[in-house]
Amino acid sequence: MEFSFNGQRMLGQAGEMLASALIANGITAFSRHRHDGAPQGIFCANGQCAQCTVLVNGLPVKSCITPLEEGMAVETLQGLPNLPHTAPELPTHPPRELRCDVLVVGAGPSGIRAAVELGQLGFSVIVADDKGKPGGKLVLQTHKFFGSVEDCFAGTRGHQIAEILGEELRESPSVTLMANTTVAAIFSDGVAALFEENHRFTYVRFRGLIVAAGARERSLVFPGNDLPGVFGAGAFQTLVNRDLIKASERVLIVGCGNVGLIAAYHALQAGITVVGLVDIAPEVTGYKVHADKIKRMGVPLYLRHTVISAEGEGKVERATIAPVDEAGRPLLEEAKTFTVDTVLIAVGLASVDEYFADAQEFGFAVVKTGDADEIAEASSAMLGGRIAGRKMARMLGMDVSVPEEWQRKMDILKSRPGRVSLRPQPEITREFRPVFHCVQEIPCDPCTTVCQFGSIKLSGETGTIMDLPEFDGRCIACGLCVAVCPGLAITLARLSEKAGMAEVVLPLEFALELAPGSAVTVCDREGGVLGRGTVVQKRYFRKYNTHLVTVEVPAAWAPLAAGIRVQEPAEVGPLPEAQFSFFPEDAVVCRCERITVREILEFARANPIHDLNQLKAIRVGMGACGGKTCNVLVPRVLIEAGVDPKSLAPASRRPLTVEIPMWAIGNQEEDGEAQ
Amino acid sequence: MKTYDVVVIGAGSVGTILSYWLAQRGLRTAVVERNASVGRGEHRAAIGGIRATHSDPAKIKIGLRSLEFVRRLKPEFGFDVDYVEGGYLFPAYQEAIAAKLKNLLDAQKVHGLEIDWIGPEEVMELVPGIREEGLLGGTYSPRDGHLSPLKLASASYQMALAAGVDFYFHTTVTGFSVEHGRVAAVKTDGPTFSTRMVVNAAGSNAREIGLLLGTDLPVVPDAHEAGVTEPVERFFYPMVVDIEPTAESENYYFYQDPEGSVIFCITPKPKRLGATKASTSEFLPMVVPRLLRLCPRLRYLRVRRVWRGMYPGTPDDRPIVGFDGNVEGVFHAVGMCGQGLMLGPGLGQLVADRLVGATRPEDEEVFELLSPYREFTAKELLR
Repeated sequence: MEFSFNGQRMLGQAGEMLASALIANGITAFSRHRHDGAPQGIFCANGQCAQCTVLVNGLPVKSCITPLEEGMAVETLQGLPNLPHTAPELPTHPPRELRCDVLVVGAGPSGIRAAVELGQLGFSVIVADDKGKPGGKLVLQTHKFFGSVEDCFAGTRGHQIAEILGEELRESPSVTLMANTTVAAIFSDGVAALFEENHRFTYVRFRGLIVAAGARERSLVFPGNDLPGVFGAGAFQTLVNRDLIKASERVLIVGCGNVGLIAAYHALQAGITVVGLVDIAPEVTGYKVHADKIKRMGVPLYLRHTVISAEGEGKVERATIAPVDEAGRPLLEEAKTFTVDTVLIAVGLASVDEYFADAQEFGFAVVKTGDADEIAEASSAMLGGRIAGRKMARMLGMDVSVPEEWQRKMDILKSRPGRVSLRPQPEITREFRPVFHCVQEIPCDPCTTVCQFGSIKLSGETGTIMDLPEFDGRCIACGLCVAVCPGLAITLARLSEKAGMAEVVLPLEFALELAPGSAVTVCDREGGVLGRGTVVQKRYFRKYNTHLVTVEVPAAWAPLAAGIRVQEPAEVGPLPEAQFSFFPEDAVVCRCERITVREILEFARANPIHDLNQLKAIRVGMGACGGKTCNVLVPRVLIEAGVDPKSLAPASRRPLTVEIPMWAIGNQEEDGEAQ
Repeated sequence: MKTYDVVVIGAGSVGTILSYWLAQRGLRTAVVERNASVGRGEHRAAIGGIRATHSDPAKIKIGLRSLEFVRRLKPEFGFDVDYVEGGYLFPAYQEAIAAKLKNLLDAQKVHGLEIDWIGPEEVMELVPGIREEGLLGGTYSPRDGHLSPLKLASASYQMALAAGVDFYFHTTVTGFSVEHGRVAAVKTDGPTFSTRMVVNAAGSNAREIGLLLGTDLPVVPDAHEAGVTEPVERFFYPMVVDIEPTAESENYYFYQDPEGSVIFCITPKPKRLGATKASTSEFLPMVVPRLLRLCPRLRYLRVRRVWRGMYPGTPDDRPIVGFDGNVEGVFHAVGMCGQGLMLGPGLGQLVADRLVGATRPEDEEVFELLSPYREFTAKELLR
């Protein structure tokens, strides 16, 4: 599709979002902020903030949720938009009113399972989701999931789980999915307002409400955090995995939880260089299998480090990190600067549970589930959704129970990673056998379900799927356990006929050529280089979309070899000398209104702060996003001004969740008038 | 036990700035507020219009005093509260509305207000895009304006703190001690305040405070909802008030703030009594069609947020200002009928004068007209 940006002709794909089309054409700064002309680029890629705003046919739109159309005239918004001078005088229509037993906000794993459960019990259910496809964030996940095969499709890739769940939804006769429909408000008179397909204002009266609205990404306060090129790991996944654009060339990732680790992996798969992951914590907080996998790819992890600046002309060109002392203060003399065009923020998620709080305040029957209830894996959200459905049925007067089994399983799936047990190296013989590089207790069992001889079993103290796998029995090197393992933590090994040599079968999820006879760098579990090996064979498992590469290595490496390096250390090191300026008070806290740390501290010193609402006097939280990003950041900033964050009254919650044009509220398009 | 010369109940539109004037006059002043910070009762819900062009002489007098004070805030006190002298515009599309507005002009001019009838061309110049068909003209008062309620609250708070006022937040009044007919102490869920003077500036909670003293003040709150849009380039300055009633609503009004957002509010018919402060589904479908009919180009504006607040109403739509008849030392400054923001700054000075016994002769009329013990019969012609 052809479109134009500031008069320049560009090409994009049908069906992609405008923001992605712009980034694919090399545009990172979309508009200029009205206060100071600062460049504005993609940030949430989720329709929540308004930083990606551009003018389309003269009107401001969020480019991340505006589908590209042939011939679109897209322009930079400089300052404030002008309201068009003339307008058609069209009749208005009141919102159409729908009714249902239960309204489910969000069609992610928990929302879908809640809706399906309620549907099976005979309730009429409407599921509203702001995206076009059901599945929530699963749609963005290209990796295989952990958890149990029986309850949550472990070993299957996220976007495929989304399709399976979407099918369950379609097969539920009393459940209606309203896609591209944002729940814009829960009003105190028992009505939810829907912004339906971006053009219609619709009301739903419900008896019960299930809040399965997921989570939003937490942000971070550091100088340069407002430059185009600093964005959330979730936003990155949207661009790279959903819209299939190469959003960056070189990234630095802040946060070593599962989100950061997975984002790093997705980046590598998209051919993007990952210069490192940074975390202020002394240890990786995500699954060790994820971290080990990333290290094997050749990505350094900088623990006890923090990002201290992002700099560049109108976009990120470099980022600087520094180790921190015991008090968390950066040690500037040990700073390292990296050449990058992107800094991904993966410092955690915050529940989107405002509607739950509203509904509770109004005395409605309400349950929250999934990330909206507690940040955890999608695997537990699927069970959580079923439980939420049962709980709602009970609230609405049906005599059903929540099976204890479900609760127990969900608690296991929610578990934080447990103990690390380093087991003795297995003896490698002439017969292939699996070798487990999985040393940390996590809820996961796919390997036990694929072996046709049942030779892989979990064993350990917990007696649950947290236990580690062990091999005992027959192995014919079918490779299924290697291909199914979400952690890429199982290999096969045997001694070869050549003296002193061995063959190892390694999983690979990269589109590398690797012709027989080519040399590869083989690493141990934590990325330590063992040396070069020779490719013997490459097999492709369609069901798991995974390659199995057989590599010949010295026999001593056979129990150790865990993966193939894809990124060379020379590509990712810091600049010889750190290159940064450090003005932490310049960091932007409220992105919509561009309020800095300095302005907040100045206000707090003149105005004793007891209440986050006081900061609205300097417009903190008054912008398009309504404080979704900054409300969680401000209390920490205020510590500097001597304010105890615990003493602060929270910012008040107000509808609407998204901005809606008056023509849509008046349903002026109902008569077929085109916008 | 804490001891003060005067305790003000309520850190809202009236109480906060009043506390500044009291401290200025040398009184040791405390403000007791049940919410977490200043202006979190109904003040936060005000959309920001400030005018002197009322039809009641007392309100005109207070309004003029408020405007005079607000104009001084930036040059004299260094507080920018986004005050813009954008005027108030009441357009008319019906002869009856035009006649009603014109009838008020003489009375308003007598009190020194700058207000006049303007023709349709002038109205369209002031609000580009307002519907031309059937427009008869309107009244326009260029010296009225709008400001940021949040910034005014913050400025008042800082001024009061600098003057030495002590604020007690999260503190709810639970009763009073009365000795020999005079107030002796204010009891709260926190400290007890020993004082000989109390001002009831409790806004929508004024009646409850009065009842603790045995005085039944006829203050009944009714709910109004408001909304704000995304910002766009400034395209009009006045507060536009359309008083033509429909079956389900009375007047509605809107203006554009200096950030560029259009802020709007409507008066539902009949009044929505009760205490709920959470938004309802009836507001947007009630107000948006009226806005789009009056000014079709507003259709392109995106509504950002909505909220609901209370108008602490009185039977004759006038504030209740004066000493309590049962308990000596208690003064009521309540029943602002949704106009606390525009009356508060002026009223604060008048009440502070009263409490130190220094009322100017020309202000006596205000206290007569707004006495708690008046008849409450004559309705204001134009609220």
